[in-house]
Amino acid sequence: MNIALAQIVPKLGDVEANLALHLEVLEKARKNRAGLVVFPELGLTGYTLKDLVEDLALDPAKDPRFRRLAAATKGLAAVVGFVEESPSDRGLFYNAAALVADGRLVHVHRKVYLPTNGMFEEAKFFAPGREFRTVEAPFGRIGLLICRDFLHYGANYVHYAAGADMIVCISAAPGRGIEGGDAFTTSRMWELMGEAMSYFSTAFVVYANRAGSEDGVSFAGGSFIYAPGGQRVARAAYVDPDFVVAPVDLGAVREARRTRLFKRDEKPEAIWRSLERIVRAPED
Amino acid sequence: MLPKINAAFVEKLLTGFIRDELGRCGCRKAVLGLSGGLDSAVCAALAARALGPRSVLGLILPCGPAFPEDVRDAEGLARRLGIRHETIDISPQIEAYFAAHPKASRLRRGNKIARERMAVLYDRSAEEGGFVLGTSNKTELLIGYGTVYGDLACAINPMGDLYKTQVRQLAERLRVPAAIRRKAPTAGLWAGQTDEGEIGLTYDEIDEILYARFEGRMSRGKIIAAGHKPAAVDLVLKRIKASEFKRHLPPIAKLSPRSVGHDILHPYDWGR
Repeated sequence: MNIALAQIVPKLGDVEANLALHLEVLEKARKNRAGLVVFPELGLTGYTLKDLVEDLALDPAKDPRFRRLAAATKGLAAVVGFVEESPSDRGLFYNAAALVADGRLVHVHRKVYLPTNGMFEEAKFFAPGREFRTVEAPFGRIGLLICRDFLHYGANYVHYAAGADMIVCISAAPGRGIEGGDAFTTSRMWELMGEAMSYFSTAFVVYANRAGSEDGVSFAGGSFIYAPGGQRVARAAYVDPDFVVAPVDLGAVREARRTRLFKRDEKPEAIWRSLERIVRAPED
Repeated sequence: MLPKINAAFVEKLLTGFIRDELGRCGCRKAVLGLSGGLDSAVCAALAARALGPRSVLGLILPCGPAFPEDVRDAEGLARRLGIRHETIDISPQIEAYFAAHPKASRLRRGNKIARERMAVLYDRSAEEGGFVLGTSNKTELLIGYGTVYGDLACAINPMGDLYKTQVRQLAERLRVPAAIRRKAPTAGLWAGQTDEGEIGLTYDEIDEILYARFEGRMSRGKIIAAGHKPAAVDLVLKRIKASEFKRHLPPIAKLSPRSVGHDILHPYDWGR
């Protein structure tokens, strides 16, 4: 299967323009025979939304714009970032990732860890998601994460314990640190953690970041794919927009789990009991 | 220790920033003041690379004949970069104003000159349909070494996150002439003025202290324990505090449930 990393530059606050951009990239991905296209966090809206959040929110089950997007995924799958407001949670706005496959909405993940410190103010404007659910995509089991979720290893663990073949993280990670090579210093952190997670999880790790800048902040680009066991399959340009299509062999998950036995020997029940004790009696 | 920057990467980021911010407004032209010093030279070089030299207008704005070598350096730089440039003596308007205030202090005169330069830059940017580029660096912003609504005023500031010593590294990369790179930094507001003389510390010292404070998140005690003189640390910390107002828009008295600046919060680049 081919995976496409859509390292786009969304237009801040303009869903129509970004929808057109997504449709264009999906068409390009189809021509490149991609089975999965991964777009960045809040790709349909732009990242630095502040008060715009509620004006740009949409219900993926009903919104005609989302239906146009879903219709463009006939024969492939896509992960798309947007602001969600659903009828069951009116007035709450989520930083969300949708898995859409073959014209159908499969799953929506709501970002659980909302960075709110220094330059980040997500929890001022978004409600936090409350769970990680691993779901079946046409090509295998997939766990969705959004940016900061990925940096909390418990989030990755849940997908691993649930048997994910692939952890897909969509991101709008700003670049910081100018002492390195041709990339922001922070890009190194993402790559290290992606590589390490592909060992821990014996799964594919797919990371799609965005490019461009908003309000003086540059997004770092550098989207990547690691195959199980630290093998880098693809890496997009740092900072600049890019579109990368890379072939992956999903059989590598079976191969990795046959040879590195972390998954076979994993004991979620031991973790569960220990966590239960910690959560119930934090003073222990 | 302040780490060395990757100047090629910074050049790429800052030329991209200038192009993006102007492009969002459908604009391709920039106007900036050229003092003959390092910061404006670096900013002009970045703008020339970002937009093409003919899209940049450098205004050299001496107040009378006091600093002929700075004017020469600025004109030389503009020719070297191939940017459009013009030299305008602003002493007529300055002197006309101070004729009524003959006892005004050096500082008042200096601030008035800085604000007159700002007024000329903004007027000419309207004529050009261009953006005014700011040239204040991170060191100046943090210690408040700038005139509010004077040299601190601009449409965008490409260099505000680079310490002075990092601007020097970028200047080398951009091949800013050695004569400009080596001269003592000065605001050029009165004869014999140098930044380091006026502040009382070298930029190397100031930058090390600022870096320890902000990137290293160190307390006063830790910065001193790392080898800096207590008087130097206190001077820098005092300047940071005293100049806080220069880094903000003025506070608005809050009355309603939603107020500008408090809780009407729109991104700057909204819809562009």
